[in-house]
Amino acid sequence: MEELLEILEEIAPGVDYENCTTLVDDHILDSFGILSLVSEMEDAFDIEVSPAELVPENFNSAASLWKMICRLRGEE
Amino acid sequence: MSYHLLSYFALFLPIVMVVYQVIPKRFRFLVMLAADYTMYFLFSGFLVFYLIGASMVTYGMGLWLERVERKAEGTPKEITKQKRKVLALGVCLFLAVLLVVKYFNFFAGELVELWNRWGADVTFTPVRFLIPIGLSYYTLQIISYLTDVYRGKLAAEHNPAKIMLYLSFFPQIMEGPISRFSEVAEELYAGKSLQYMNVVHGYQRILWGLFKKMVVADRVAAVVSTTFGDYQSYDGAILLYGVLMYTTQLYMEFSGCMDMVIGSAEIFGIKLPENFKQPFLAKDASDFWHRWHITLGTWFKDYIFYPVSLAKPVKNLAKKCKNKFGKGVSKFVAPTVALFCVWSSNGLWHGARWTYLFYGMYYFVIIFLENITEEPVQKLAARLHINRKSRGYTIFRVIKLFVIVNIGELFFRAETVGMGFEMLHSIVTNFHISNLIQQIIYLGMDQFELIVAGIGILAVTVVGALKEKGVDVREAIDRWVLPARWVFWYAVVVFVVLFGAYGAGYDSVAMIYAGY
Repeated sequence: MEELLEILEEIAPGVDYENCTTLVDDHILDSFGILSLVSEMEDAFDIEVSPAELVPENFNSAASLWKMICRLRGEE
Repeated sequence: MSYHLLSYFALFLPIVMVVYQVIPKRFRFLVMLAADYTMYFLFSGFLVFYLIGASMVTYGMGLWLERVERKAEGTPKEITKQKRKVLALGVCLFLAVLLVVKYFNFFAGELVELWNRWGADVTFTPVRFLIPIGLSYYTLQIISYLTDVYRGKLAAEHNPAKIMLYLSFFPQIMEGPISRFSEVAEELYAGKSLQYMNVVHGYQRILWGLFKKMVVADRVAAVVSTTFGDYQSYDGAILLYGVLMYTTQLYMEFSGCMDMVIGSAEIFGIKLPENFKQPFLAKDASDFWHRWHITLGTWFKDYIFYPVSLAKPVKNLAKKCKNKFGKGVSKFVAPTVALFCVWSSNGLWHGARWTYLFYGMYYFVIIFLENITEEPVQKLAARLHINRKSRGYTIFRVIKLFVIVNIGELFFRAETVGMGFEMLHSIVTNFHISNLIQQIIYLGMDQFELIVAGIGILAVTVVGALKEKGVDVREAIDRWVLPARWVFWYAVVVFVVLFGAYGAGYDSVAMIYAGY
């Protein structure tokens, strides 16, 4: 989770990622930011994110992102 | 028949409402289907059978995808591969129909011309295709349904009626919005009883759409025809007036049509997605396309932008760039490749014309520049102590975007790209405001019409500005006392009746987006 927060901070700094649950809804992450995030996550966590995963429910908060990462790593 | 005609909202719609309401709930979807296909038949005659056929094929392809998933053996990757083949077949089938009827003549004609330039002597007679109305819209809906089933976001639908309803809903069939199966199919099938407030709100929304279309769009259309029709004869200031009127016409007409469409659906308790969200308050081109023709933009994002960005060859290209040029450059690679695909598709989706393709490429370049300059602009603003969230800076961005949008619409409306550049050149180099002041009342709208259109534009602007601030004017009016409400809505009806552009001297202006 720490590593994910670092990636998020690098892509869009100055956001309270621990508590924010509207990253996509409030346009903190736009489609360009989402793609940068996906690219970083794929490298950092050795996962493959398919287009089907690119929905607001997965990207609206750090917690939902972490849940998706765990699922894609087969930890769930 | 069209949504702004009396025959639609005062005859067709009430008949459908009455029949729908008196029929038992479980059969109401049949009334809806009958209304859908009757409307479609009125537009496109026997091409309605194409729509029915397309619905059946979509239904079958959905079940096929489900069957592959259920029966397939092997690893998840192998199953995905098998499903992908079925999806590719379905998508290619429907895209092929769209491409052939919309683009064959254009590309074949261009190829023959090119060939003849190299010395050949070939004549090309365009093939006369019958194009079912709304084809560009429901083809995208079909692709979204099949892709969502493939991705596992949706279960394949086992009731063919729901697919038929989804692809043929009569208010949507001409100009969208491009909805998703999960948004509307259940509501369309549910057969909810008509409710007083839904009917009232629905007709209020239709009235607002009529106001935009008849009071403003159809009135300014005359200026657009005059200025674009004989652009070489006019001063740059007059051409600028024509361009501004075209942007106004396009917005008032398309968003007005969406009001009529969404209002019609609201009558039956069906919530269609919004297609406009105060686009002229956008701060940059990306923001503009989140507010203008929203459902087309989100479709392109979900079914072209993301899949292309995450495609293996594009990712590999980005990785190569990362090794060679570093992260600063590589992060732009995948989005830029995908953006190019989105904007060439967007241009071509509007029709087979070089001006449309140019329009798409224009926005590709603008958005690409916005992306790569975002960081340097942020740094520069910080260095110059400019608050990017300040009111002044926001106004500057809104005005800049307004100029960008109008240049785009100029090329969108021009007959050729060359004509677009000539007009732009004239606006920049031959601009004499005095010529416009002298001639303004002879360009399609006289003094009275200018005032009426001006009031209309002002009203729409105020309502939009309030909405941006979170004030829904319709809801606010709902809270007024009954006599005040009635007076207000009657006043709007009277305004449209008295000042709408129709009757002697006016031809009903066809819906622009129905042609796409």
